[in-house]
Amino acid sequence: MWNNFKNGFVKENPVFGLYLGMCSALAISTSLNNAIGMGLCVTLVLICSNILVSLIRKITPDEIRIPVYIVIIASLVTVVEMFVHAYMPELYTSLGVFLSLIVVNCIILGRAEAFASKNGVLSSAVDGLGMGLGYTFALFLISFVREFLANMAITFYNPFNAEQILFSFGIEALEPFKISLFSSSVGAFFTFACFAALFSIIRKNMKKKEEAK
Amino acid sequence: MKKTITLVLFLGIVAAISGLCISLVNDITSPLITENEIASEKTNLELMFPGATFETIDYTGDDESILGIYEVVDTGYVVKVEGYGYSSTPIVALIGFDYDITVLDVIILSNQETNGYGSRCFEDSFIDTAYVGKAIDEEVDMLSGATLTSTAMKNMIDSARTALSN
Repeated sequence: MWNNFKNGFVKENPVFGLYLGMCSALAISTSLNNAIGMGLCVTLVLICSNILVSLIRKITPDEIRIPVYIVIIASLVTVVEMFVHAYMPELYTSLGVFLSLIVVNCIILGRAEAFASKNGVLSSAVDGLGMGLGYTFALFLISFVREFLANMAITFYNPFNAEQILFSFGIEALEPFKISLFSSSVGAFFTFACFAALFSIIRKNMKKKEEAK
Repeated sequence: MKKTITLVLFLGIVAAISGLCISLVNDITSPLITENEIASEKTNLELMFPGATFETIDYTGDDESILGIYEVVDTGYVVKVEGYGYSSTPIVALIGFDYDITVLDVIILSNQETNGYGSRCFEDSFIDTAYVGKAIDEEVDMLSGATLTSTAMKNMIDSARTALSN
């Protein structure tokens, strides 16, 4: 089960390994706040949908399993969206349409179909947590690089109260070298490509080590 | 046949349970959401009428340039309206009216009009003479050299008037 959880980070990282959920990952990774907010929303939806799908896996008729999963996922996303709108209005505005688009994030349907429909409740929940945190981790990396290069500073505010800044740091000496390109989608692709290459090298090395054993 | 009915029933039950959950959550969150919306608009509204009490009025008309209508208790109304001048980015403005729909104040929230031409429409001295104090049947002034921007402003004020008088 621990392996299941660990896989989500490097070996089967949803964004850099399975190349799932890239659309939202590229679009919202402009700031650390967006990335972590989005990542945690996805994680929450993923855990709940995995648990529910796994609970009803024995009584779900095979012919209509996909529509059933979609109904479950869509309701969960709507619920999460309403809570975010009510309690974290800043995050809601900056994520915009991508929050509701979690519904079509293929990681969630993918895990429901590939894992939760065949495994027990507990391991499905752990799989959801691992995958979700892996996605958050990927978003964190992309957004960290992007926000830093675009502003030469990083600010992270409390999502429940936008005026409360939890931490911020910047290098003033680098201020004139801001690359605003990185706040646009081009920068997202650059960053994504570099990380994907890096992760692919790491995976290859891991494989070699395993074979050597 | 029996199989089909089972399938329909199963999906129906799943959908019904989901719907129930969503409506429960909606009951909890919707008052908070409206509160937030007023709060975020309030910083803008406070610019115009500091310290007043605001209430949201639902706009039912089909004029898409009307972004929101607020009642300022004991004073009048504020209409948030957008319009297109020279730029492809809309001008967004708050227009304050008293209960007789006479313009009290105009605040521009965002615009991308050309500096030195269209932007002259937003100078305080122009707003004070051209818009403020105009009753519902009075035409607002235009500004030569800023035809598109001042036409946009005129249209915005007109749609705000129409929206309020309905």
